[in-house]
This record gives sequence, structure tokens and C-alpha cells, in this order.
Amino acid sequence: MNRANPLLWLGAALVVVQALAALASPWIAPYDPNVQDILARLQGPGAAHWLGTDNFGRDTLSRALFGYRTLFTISAASVLGALAVGGTLGVLAAWRGGWMDKVAMRLMDVLFAFPIILLAIGIIAVLGPGAFSTAIAIGVVYTPIFARMLRAPTLLLKDSEYVAAARAIGASDRRILGRHLLPNLSPVILVQASLSLSTAILVEASLSFLGLGTQPPTASLGRMLAESRNFLNFSPWPAVFSGAAILLAALGFNLFGDGLQDRLDPRLRSRR
Amino acid sequence: MTRAILSRGGELLFVAFGVSVLTFLMIHLVPGDAAQVMLGAADASPEKIAALRHQLGLDQTLVAQYAHWIAGALQGDLGTSVWTGRPVIEEIAGRVGVTIELTVLSLTAAIVIALPAGCLMATLRSSTAEYAVRVLSVAGITVPSFWLGAMLLYGAAAVAPNMQVVGYVPFAQDPLANLQRMLLPTIALALPVVASLARVVRASMQEALGQDYVRTARAKGLTERRVIFAHALRNALIPFLTTVGIMAGYLFGGSVVVEQVFALPGLGRLMVGAIAERNYPLIQAAILLATVTFVLVNFLVDLLYIAADPRARRT
Amino acid sequence: MTRIGSRTALAALAVMLPFAVGLPTAAAQTLEIATDQSPVGLDPHVATAFSTALIDSNIYEGLTAVDTDLRTVPSLAESWTVSPDGLTYVFRLRAGATFHNGRAVTPQDIIANIERVRDPKTASPFASRFTGIKGMEAVGANELRLTLDAPSAPLLSQLATLAIVAPEAAATLGRVPVGTGPFRFKEWVPDTYITLERNPAYWEKGLPYLGGLKFNIVPESATREAGIASGTYRLMPVVDAAAAAALAGKPGVRLLQTQDLAYSLIGLNTSKAPFDKPAVREAFNLAIDRAQLVQAVYFGRGVPGGPLSPALTQWALPVSAFPCYTPDAAAAQKKLQEAGITGKLKVTLNVLGSLQQVVDVAQVVQAQLNKAGFDVQLNVQEQGKFIADWRASNFEGFVSLNSGSPDPDDYFGRAFQTGGATNVYKYSNPDLDKLLIAARAETDPKARKQLYDGAQRILACTGPAIDLAYGTLFAAVRGDVQGFTPMATRSLRTLREAKIAP
Repeated sequence: MNRANPLLWLGAALVVVQALAALASPWIAPYDPNVQDILARLQGPGAAHWLGTDNFGRDTLSRALFGYRTLFTISAASVLGALAVGGTLGVLAAWRGGWMDKVAMRLMDVLFAFPIILLAIGIIAVLGPGAFSTAIAIGVVYTPIFARMLRAPTLLLKDSEYVAAARAIGASDRRILGRHLLPNLSPVILVQASLSLSTAILVEASLSFLGLGTQPPTASLGRMLAESRNFLNFSPWPAVFSGAAILLAALGFNLFGDGLQDRLDPRLRSRR
Repeated sequence: MTRAILSRGGELLFVAFGVSVLTFLMIHLVPGDAAQVMLGAADASPEKIAALRHQLGLDQTLVAQYAHWIAGALQGDLGTSVWTGRPVIEEIAGRVGVTIELTVLSLTAAIVIALPAGCLMATLRSSTAEYAVRVLSVAGITVPSFWLGAMLLYGAAAVAPNMQVVGYVPFAQDPLANLQRMLLPTIALALPVVASLARVVRASMQEALGQDYVRTARAKGLTERRVIFAHALRNALIPFLTTVGIMAGYLFGGSVVVEQVFALPGLGRLMVGAIAERNYPLIQAAILLATVTFVLVNFLVDLLYIAADPRARRT
Repeated sequence: MTRIGSRTALAALAVMLPFAVGLPTAAAQTLEIATDQSPVGLDPHVATAFSTALIDSNIYEGLTAVDTDLRTVPSLAESWTVSPDGLTYVFRLRAGATFHNGRAVTPQDIIANIERVRDPKTASPFASRFTGIKGMEAVGANELRLTLDAPSAPLLSQLATLAIVAPEAAATLGRVPVGTGPFRFKEWVPDTYITLERNPAYWEKGLPYLGGLKFNIVPESATREAGIASGTYRLMPVVDAAAAAALAGKPGVRLLQTQDLAYSLIGLNTSKAPFDKPAVREAFNLAIDRAQLVQAVYFGRGVPGGPLSPALTQWALPVSAFPCYTPDAAAAQKKLQEAGITGKLKVTLNVLGSLQQVVDVAQVVQAQLNKAGFDVQLNVQEQGKFIADWRASNFEGFVSLNSGSPDPDDYFGRAFQTGGATNVYKYSNPDLDKLLIAARAETDPKARKQLYDGAQRILACTGPAIDLAYGTLFAAVRGDVQGFTPMATRSLRTLREAKIAP
């Protein structure tokens, strides 16, 4: 059953191309993303500026490329952090059980119940705006998702005959978890991480849009969109392109995660 | 079943309590307090700030402030707005209608569109068409609502410059003007929901159409339409409801930004404003309300789940 | 159940669609106004934000008023006399002036207002304006005599900034204003709108023409633009240059303009390195290209500004008088060397994040400074945090927008005199203090101007505030709004003469 493949590949291609563009942005960007050229401002797409310019005459393509860099770095850092912290918490809670499990999971419930954007706004308000705070804020938002995701399979494994047998021959907890739980779960983790990245990108963009993300003049797609909004009636292009770039980034990870999920278990498709 | 409900209810109480503690801690850690913000960028003497702090109770310890708040909250008194002196319940009640209207309109519009769209998608035979539809639906889910809102506003201004699309007119005052102004925000907010729901409907339908009872129904000579709507659709109900529950949370978060873009006086704007103004009692109450609603909706979905699927009762 | 739900929704959708195209609104007598921010409270003696003044300027009046040409004219005082020594002022109160609660305005009310502003408990930023008033007494039923300890040239224009409130309502003025103006307070729905209604007992018979004002709070610039272009709003009182350029030529929209008193600036903390050294402040000035800034942020609709707004034609020196206003990166470097600074000077500027124009100014200035060899970091702050740091002088430098003042004494004294009320820069310069004290007592306009010329020269290049630019202030109205004139002070006082053409 390879029905999902074209979408999986489309997603993978989008992710790889955009990630490469982000990595290579210092070399492939046609202009310095922060250099202002007032005379050339608010131009539409053309030969000199492929995607046009913003209100300070900065090159939209260059800013978008560097914007990808910011967006991917923050989203990836926050999702990986959430996976590390949330995943460990979920596994430990399930493995130890008892009150530790109860306390940890209720805490996760509390975090999970918060409206995402408001939780992130609150954390950034405390830490002060900036790339680091944004990554922390999004990381906190996603921690409960990974904790819950890894807790259930750990519970199943813990009660299995397999573990009883492994214990009987003297295998350590660490070995059981590392050798058997993680390899079995890695596809699921990959799917969830990919889908989380897709939404983390949207959250990062929303926060930058609200002026809470990376500080200017660092190129950030959400902030580009926010700033270009005031000039929509002059030139819609910076707003169109920065929004489209956010969409493509999120789309890539979502298609990839979705396709991967289909491939792993077609029956579970779309049952998230 | 009763036990399952009771235990879920207990968890709900705990979550509400945890959220209130967390909110409280968070807003008091934010630099710059209400007294400073209220007195503005003018020359307010330290004495004046201290006096106002005292009046607002901000000079007490955090624990004392929280104890004071929770004692009031348990008696149904969520405090008064720092800025207007009105009970926060009144402030919220005046705003929640807009958000509810926006959410309900978006959700109904989404359901109305997603059901037939999902069914249609399930019956597509050509794989190219199916891929196209799936890419579109994923794109629909990932489109940033604030971008969509800004683009819609720009598009509307370009296409129909005299269209009244911004601001808010209460439904009771002029239903038509109200709906007209809610049109664009509803679209901006509903699109990702449409996409999510349509995908769920499609997946469940496809699954159902391959099952024995549908084949039996077909064999009995029922029309295809009857098969889809009477049998297969029922199968889609539970995952559909689950998604609706998840979307309730999304809709609330999305409305924060959409209300900002379209100048709608809803709960989302109230909260963003309250955070900027350090209006502690208001933030506290509004976040509590939002989270409890979100948890309640999911609690109801859980109950439906338990009612529909006996296996779920055990966990 | 689901079926009923869908049917209702379908019906709702069916209702929505045909009316998506605009219906003309009936010519209501209430003027729909779109403004960007909620006021931070409406007590005119305490809150000084633009958002407050915008609304209060319709509710309150002073003894005097500033007209559209920034001249001082009678308001609640219909006339006054000044003794030859400049120490005694007698004001005759306007006959028929009443508060919105129906009570007639008496000389005692004015005295109570001056006392309230001066009371440390009120903590009014205007307190210092009225400390020179020694004696206050009522003369008969409708005259007021003020005696000063020294002649004060700015007194009359300062009295225009003292909104006369009903003393009996003092405790709740932040939320429920009670004044004497052409409109009275009706309702405030936070973050949504504030409505004022016509004051039928206004002393100027026949005014105002409008039945009321509704200040809709619309945070998004693009949304305000869409709203006035479609006729949802009839007045946008504060339009920045970019929005003005976008609105120009839209059918049904008229742009009005005036020179803004408000100005963008970089404020520097002179109490700590590196800006404790005048040479570093001068280097900053030399590195900035104000003409380019005006092009970039104000779309050319503004002017580089010195310490005083060019709107104050009788006081302001032309910027050509300040040598440091000619951008010169090499000279900037030389100044830094003078101050003993080698290598890139690293500086962090706090930026008031709630105004996009300020963020734009900050980005352009940052690019210019970095090009000239500085290393400038921006810290865009949310309003609450910005104010807290500003008040505590907790900054190396900040970028903001300040409201100007029609009188130089008022502004210079508060901001730059040693220990001044808003001297968050912790600036102290005995030479400047001497000039300001002398100017305040000088009633001969020529001699006073001389003193202020000196002050401007001191402040322009090595002062603690780097004045950047004064924009053109635009207001957008629908074509059928008549009689409204925008004012440099951003006051909406002229709305009392506005009407909507039938």
C-alpha cells in the first residue's frame, strides 16, 4: 500500500528545500537582508528584486530566506526541547507509576488546558521578548503533548510479559527502555515531531506577528507580515510572500508527518 | 461509568485550580505592574504609585493575594477590573457574546461545508484528484489565520470598497449589519476547521465504505446516497466530535488574532488588552473561563466517547 | 440533533450572503471616530497619553485655549487683565458656563482645580506648571484673581492645559469625566468604544452641532483604513504618513493636515556610560541622517526637528542652526575618539513597541548608526515594560514619540531642567538651568526668544534627547464632515464646530 507516498515525498521535498535554503541563506540571498534602500521601497516583483521590497527597501527574498533560518531554528529547538523534557517525563511517570505519575500528568493537563497563544504570550511577557524566550514558550506549550504521547506505550510495555521476562534475566530498566521502547516508538515520535513542527511554525509566526518574537532587524517571517500589513494598500507583495512562506514551511512538515503516518498505519489516517 | 465521570470531574477541578495558580504566578512575574501602567508615562511620584499599589492590594505577598482571590472566587466573586472598577464578570459577560457568536458561526459554517465536502472527497475515484484534495486540505489547516484575515480585508477593499466589513454591530441592534461584519472573520477562522473536519469525515467514510455492513446495505439495493448518509456517516460521528472538541480550543486561540484584525470587541481582545494593562483580576478570570470551557468541551466529548464505546470505560 | 444544527447554520449562511454588499448607513448625528488605542484613564490632571487627550479635549476646557494657530484665546475665561508688573491676573469667567452635572462654574471651582493639580497626592505631571501661583481669590461672583511670585510668560498658555473638572466628581474622574465642554461622557466599553453625547447646556449657544461622538477603538491600521474608506467611520483623527499616502485619492475620503507637535526622539541616559559624555551624544547626532529618516518613515511628509517643533514658528530655530544635524560619519568617529572610545560602541535602545511608527524609526536609525560604526541593539518592549523602565531611568537609550507642548518653558523645564518632573535622562546642566529660569521670568518676547535660542543650541547637539523628526499630522474625514480642523496639539477641540452635511 504505497498510496501515501507522493504526498510524503512532496512534504519531504518541501522541508528539505526550505531547510537547505535556510542553511544556505548567507550565501544564496541576493542582498544583505538588513540593508535599507529607501528609493527602491515597496516595489513589486522584478528583475532586481525577485520578490520585491518592503517599506524600507529591503529585499523581500533575502529577508524571507533569513526568516526561514529564524523560523526553523526556533521551531526545531522548541520541539526538540519539548520532546526531550516531555518525553522523559512521560516515560518516567509511566515507568515509576504511583503518585509521581499522577502529579506529573495532572501538571501536564494544566499546561495542556491553557490556550496555546495565551500561554506563550504569558511566558514571553515574563521572560521578555526575543528568540530564546519564544523557543522556551513554544517548548513549554508542546511538552504535555510529548509527555502524553510517550506515556501510554510505556504503560503497555511495563505490563507486558516481555518486560517480566527481561527483568527475570536481569536486564536493567535503562536497557529495556533504550533497547525496546524507543526503537519501537521512533516512527510515532517522528510523526508527532513533524506535525508539531508544523504547528510550532504557526505559533512562532503568530508570536512574531504580535511583536513578541525575535527583535528587529533580524528577519522573521511573522514580523515581516506584521510590518507589511500597514502598507497593504501600497504593495501587497511583502505581505503575500511572507505569509506564503509561513504557509509553505508549515505545509511541508504537515504533509511529511501526515504521509509518514499513513505509511505506518493507513488505518490511523487523520485520526489525530 | 459513573466512576469514570466522577474521576474525570475531579481531574477537571484540579486542572482549573492548577490553571488559576499558574496564571496568577505568571502575571505577577511580568515586569511593570498595574499601578505603573495606569499612571502612564507621566510623572507619577513613588508615593502615588505606592498608594495605588496599596489600594489594589499589590503590596501584599503573592500568597496573600492568591488566597484573597481564591476565597472570593469560591464564593463566585472574581474581583473587579483594576481599570474600570466594574466586576470582572460583567466585563467578560459584555465581551463573551462576540467571541461565542464568532465561534458558533465559524463552527456551524465549518460543519455545514465539511460534511458534504468530506463525503465528496471520500467518493473520489481518481488518485490525482484525491492527492490534490488532500494537499488542499492540509494547506487549509496550516494557513495562518492572521494572514488570511489581512488578505481577506485587503481583497474586500479592492473588490468592494463600500462593503461594511469592519467594526461590530450587536446582533440585537441590527442582525443584517451584524452578520455582514462577521462574514470575513468567520471565513478567516473557519477555513482551518473546515479542512480538519473534512479530512476526518473523509477518512471515516472511506473506512466505513469498505466495511461489511455497508456492502450488505448496498446488496440490499439501497441507493448510494442512502448508504453514505444513513450508514457510513454515522460511523464518522465519534472522530468528528473529537475533532470538534479539539477545534473548540483552536477557535478560541484563533479568535484572539482575528478579533484584533477585524476590530471585534471579543474576549480575545479583552485578554490581550488586559495583559498589556496588567489588569490582573480580569486576566485571571478570563483565562480561567477559557480553559475551563475548553476542558469542559473535551470532558463532554469524553463522555460521548464513553457512552458510545464500552471499551473506553475501562481506561 | 446534528441535522437541526446544520439546517440552522445553513439558514444563517443563506441570510449572510445576500447582504455582504454594503448598505448606506443613515446620516446619524453621532460622529463615528476610529482611534487606535484605549485611553489609560480619563482624569485630565493625571493621564497625559494622546489617547486620553483625544477624548478629554471634547469634555474639558481650560480658562484659556490654544487655537489652530497655537495662539492663546479665551475659553472658560471670557477675558482677563494683567497688572503692569506682570504679577496679578484677573480672569472674568464665562457667563452661563456649567458643569455637565448642571452646576454653574464658580471662581472657587478654578481654585479647587489648581489646588488639586498642585496637591502631591494627585501626582499630576502638570503640578510644576502652577507652583508659581502665590495667591488665589474669588472677586465677586465670577472673577478670579491670581497673584504670582514672579512674572510668568507662559502662564496663559499653561492655563490652557489645565482642564477644569467638577471638584465634587474628583474621586471618579479616571472613569467618569465631568467637565464643561461641548460633549459630555456617556459610556465606556473598554477596548471597544467610548461614547460622548451633545452637551445641551454648552455655553456657546447653538454648539455643538453633532449629536454625539463615538470613539471606536480599532488597533489595526489597515482595519481603520478599510473602515474609513468604506464609510463605517467618518473621522480618523490621527493618521500617519504611510496611511495618509494609502488613503490619498480614495473616493469619499478627505485628508486634512497640520504640523505635528509630537516628535520622535532618542532619549539617552546621561547618568551612566557611555552617554554621560557629551561627545558621545554629539557623535550619535552626527551619525544620524534625519532627512533620510523623514523619507523612510514619514514618506517625506515631515521635517527634521530640533529641540522645538517647527510648528512653534515664533520660537523654533531652523535646524540649519545646529552643525551636528549634517550627517558626518567621520566627525562622529572623531567625537568618539575624543571621548576615549575605541572600537565599535555597543549600545542598547529600548523601543516603545506599541507604536509601529516608533519601531520603524528605530530600525532606520539603527541601520544608520551601525553604518557609522556603532553596534546598536534594539529592545522592542511592550508598553507596560517600556513605561516601567522609562520611569526608573532603567535604559541606556530609548526610542519613543513624545507629545510636544505649545510653550517652550513648559516642555524644557519638565524634561531638561535639573530635577525636572520628566527628566528621566538625569540630565543636569547649570548653564541650561540658568537660561530656563531667566526665560520663565522674562515677559519681553524678544529677550525670551534670545534665551530660548541659547537653550536650543545647548540641547540640540549635546543634550540628552536626540530629536529626530516632526511628522505632518494627518486626519482623514469622510467628504460630508464639515467644520473640523486638525490641531498640532492633537486636540479635537474643533469638533464642537463640526457637522455632517445632510
